[in-house]
Amino acid sequence: MESFFTIALALLLAPLFPGIILKVKAFFAGKKGPPLLIKYYTLLKLLQKGSVYSTSTTFVFKLGPIISCAGAMMILLFFPLGGMSPLVSFHGDVIVLFYILGLGRFFTIAAALDTASPFEGMGAAREAFFGTLAEASIFAILILFYRMTGALSFAEYFIGARSISMAGTAGALLLLVIVSLFMLLLTENSRVPVDDPATHLELTMIHEVMILDHSGPDLALIELGSFYKLFFYSAFIFLIIFPLKAEWGLFKVPLFFGGIGLVYVAIGLVESGMARFKMNLVPKFVLTSLVLVSFAAILTMEFIK
Amino acid sequence: MLELIFILPILTGLAALFVPANLGRGMLLIAALFHLQLTIMAWFGQLPVYTSDFFSAEPVGLLVLLLTSFIFLCISLYAICYVRETEMENEPVFHGCMLLFLGTMSMVSLADHPIVLWIAIEATTLVSAPLIFVHRSREALEATWKYIIICSVGIALALLGCFFITLSIDIAEIDVPLTFTSLNRVAAQLDPVWLKAGFIFIAIGFGTKMGLAPMHTWLPDAHSQAPSPASALLSGALLNCAFLGIYKAHTLMYLAGLGEFSSNLLIGFGLTSMLVAGIFMVKQPDYKRMLAYSSIENMGIIAFGVGLGGVAVYGAILHMIHHSLIKSSLFLSAGNILLGFKTKFVEHIGNLAKFLPKTFVSFFAGFVGISGLPPFGLFISELFILIGAIQTGHPFCAALFIFCLLLVVAGAAQIVTDMSFSENIAEIQGVEKYLRVFPPYALLLTSILLTVWLPDGIYTTILNTIKIIGGTIHG
Amino acid sequence: MSNIVNITMVIILLSVLLSLASNRLIALVKIMALQGIMVSLLPLLLEHHSRMGSGGLIFFQVMILIKGALIPGLLYVALKRVVTKREIEPIIGYHASLFAGLIIILLSIFITERLHLSLPKGHDLLLTTAITTISAGFFLMMSRKKAITQVIGYLMLENGIYLVGTALTKHAHTLYVVEFGVLLDVLVGVMIMGIILHNINHTFDDIDTDHLNLLKD
Repeated sequence: MESFFTIALALLLAPLFPGIILKVKAFFAGKKGPPLLIKYYTLLKLLQKGSVYSTSTTFVFKLGPIISCAGAMMILLFFPLGGMSPLVSFHGDVIVLFYILGLGRFFTIAAALDTASPFEGMGAAREAFFGTLAEASIFAILILFYRMTGALSFAEYFIGARSISMAGTAGALLLLVIVSLFMLLLTENSRVPVDDPATHLELTMIHEVMILDHSGPDLALIELGSFYKLFFYSAFIFLIIFPLKAEWGLFKVPLFFGGIGLVYVAIGLVESGMARFKMNLVPKFVLTSLVLVSFAAILTMEFIK
Repeated sequence: MLELIFILPILTGLAALFVPANLGRGMLLIAALFHLQLTIMAWFGQLPVYTSDFFSAEPVGLLVLLLTSFIFLCISLYAICYVRETEMENEPVFHGCMLLFLGTMSMVSLADHPIVLWIAIEATTLVSAPLIFVHRSREALEATWKYIIICSVGIALALLGCFFITLSIDIAEIDVPLTFTSLNRVAAQLDPVWLKAGFIFIAIGFGTKMGLAPMHTWLPDAHSQAPSPASALLSGALLNCAFLGIYKAHTLMYLAGLGEFSSNLLIGFGLTSMLVAGIFMVKQPDYKRMLAYSSIENMGIIAFGVGLGGVAVYGAILHMIHHSLIKSSLFLSAGNILLGFKTKFVEHIGNLAKFLPKTFVSFFAGFVGISGLPPFGLFISELFILIGAIQTGHPFCAALFIFCLLLVVAGAAQIVTDMSFSENIAEIQGVEKYLRVFPPYALLLTSILLTVWLPDGIYTTILNTIKIIGGTIHG
Repeated sequence: MSNIVNITMVIILLSVLLSLASNRLIALVKIMALQGIMVSLLPLLLEHHSRMGSGGLIFFQVMILIKGALIPGLLYVALKRVVTKREIEPIIGYHASLFAGLIIILLSIFITERLHLSLPKGHDLLLTTAITTISAGFFLMMSRKKAITQVIGYLMLENGIYLVGTALTKHAHTLYVVEFGVLLDVLVGVMIMGIILHNINHTFDDIDTDHLNLLKD
């Protein structure tokens, strides 16, 4: 019952958090910034509109938004949101889920290619490249977690018997994982310094350029999907930093959402403090995250013998 | 008190940084005189040690100290004249750093705590870097940068070596103060693995500073770019100080029963240095660089001698003394040549015997001395090392040793005769001043004097020193 | 307690890795400041140092001040005065550097495993960290063009050696006067290197080590 409740809450609240990032950025720019609920307004506005489809596109173009949004929602079902046991869980679900996210990306890319616009092709190429690099890091993290917990599911990671915590064996290594995961979050969700969601030049975009041709409800679905994805990564990072203990009961839920809010504030701080990288430096950034995790994985040899 | 020996020059040096140049020259000379006096007092045991945790008057340290002090006195006489003629831009810095250099080198020779020794050796690097940079040319800049970076990194490794030695005490769980004197007493109980690791790093670290190949790359640059008095000091005194660090570590290894390991390492470094120096000396276009490579070769000989043990250690210590005297004399003569011809290139210099007769005599005599010919002391010391090599059963090393010596003599002879007698078109631009000509002679005469008559005090000190690592003079 | 020590060490390792990946000189200086502070804190956290007198505490405060503020400050000033182009310009690229970092840590672990027979207990990671820091310092010195990165590499080397020194050995025979002397040497060294850097910049209008190739045989 509580699990249903938290998932519903998460699905509802996810569009709220990007507003926090905008507020933080506005604060550092000395501006008032858009209202906190801006993303809800955007979604509402988009949903009220109709979609326009180019005559040259096929069903693939329409499939992209739906699958990417559905994939992102699906991952939340498996995730122990707020330390509650997730709705579904099985041994090995992490691998399935990251590939479902991958599937979402595949269809986004396919949809972008379907438009036959050179800009979108360029964006798709970049997304595919950086995504591939990021995948290596993600699986390095999974290997590390497997070494630490012997499990392959989110539920086991965070609420299982040998759950991950900074206080446990090899806990110090989680520091490397957290930094690496944060870098992955920035990459996977097209944030500064990898990609700038607010940029206005198509040539410099990665993610935004792929969805130029989507409009109306389709665009709303894409946006919603990206909110859920960002929410998932933030929750992942937060639970590693601060594992929620079972005995705290329902108090865990506000703690969880508050903590996630802090992760978003951190994203906002990074975005305010950094300029985006030159395109040729992005692979270095992603590779750094891979090397960080590999560092941690190598170091587990010291701890776990 | 014993500590005065290094405190006095350091304080005077700091003061000299802020006083006008004329006063600075006086301070240089007076401090040198006082330093020599204090050193002699230390020799006669007149100076009690206050901080025995850090410093002590060890025989080998005293030997290096006396050598440094005497050479510094001669060089300071020379420097007074030299700086006036070269119109140095920032003279107070030169005087100050010379004195600080003397102070830190004295600290090296008296240090008994390994890390204090390290601090002092690193400090010599830092205070001598401005001396190399004093001419502010592009080349000087490059030489200084290489010197400070290579030496700092090298010496940092020596610090690692010192820490490993500390670790070897911890693991053996012995409770002794960390000084070479007390470590030598308990050497046999120390952990051998960490001791070996420590020695490797110390040999590499201080070896960098001593100019052992293949870590020698800074040495030719620094010695050729520094003003001649500083080069003489670098070559004649600083290299000995670095050697002292290795020597003390080697003593510890010997007492811990790991003498063979450290000896082999030293023999290897020694022969490599000799070979490298020999190869680079042939056809060397710059005579100051030639002298620098000769220093590398001689440091190689010393390391080789110490590594061999037995009679060769006596030879090595003698070699250290005579090399310091002769080489600093040679660098001072080279400074005179530089002031006379205003060039460092051999091809622009000719007929030295005609243009600068007094300098020619000292330079050529220095060459004879450094080549290991009688009546200079290097003849005896090299003979001792050769005998030692054969006695301890290293015939191949002995053969290589002789080959390197021949190579070096051939290389040097070509350059020196070319400079002295060839009819190269050369213009003379400076005159010989008495104050600049006298110190090289004094140094050379001292070397001859010590060859024919070694005072009993020095003789017994050398014997006491080498006795600990199994050195004798009776084969 | 032991976890805090581990976390400190992991932060040091993190700083090592980030320094290999960083392409801005300013960022590198900041990373060095972080590393300096962590390296100075580590001995305080280790158990066998917990019983130290006020002298020790003052010493470590001074050390944090020097390693965490004074030396990075000097570097920062040098950077502001000297460098016009803030990019690092590696000889070995960033990707290769990162993987070199991985190889370095693998080797460090290998070395530690080989040596751990005679190490005090629980210090394995410490030795690994120290060796990694030392080797990465060397790597940084060799693989970057700018003269200032050589200074930074030297500092990292020094930090690694310090880790071996203060953290690995017992405190019974380390005297603060002596350690302070070491620290002072490093500080003065960085100052002199800074002065020479300034002169290099003045003479060549750049601090690229490629200019320093006049002297050779």
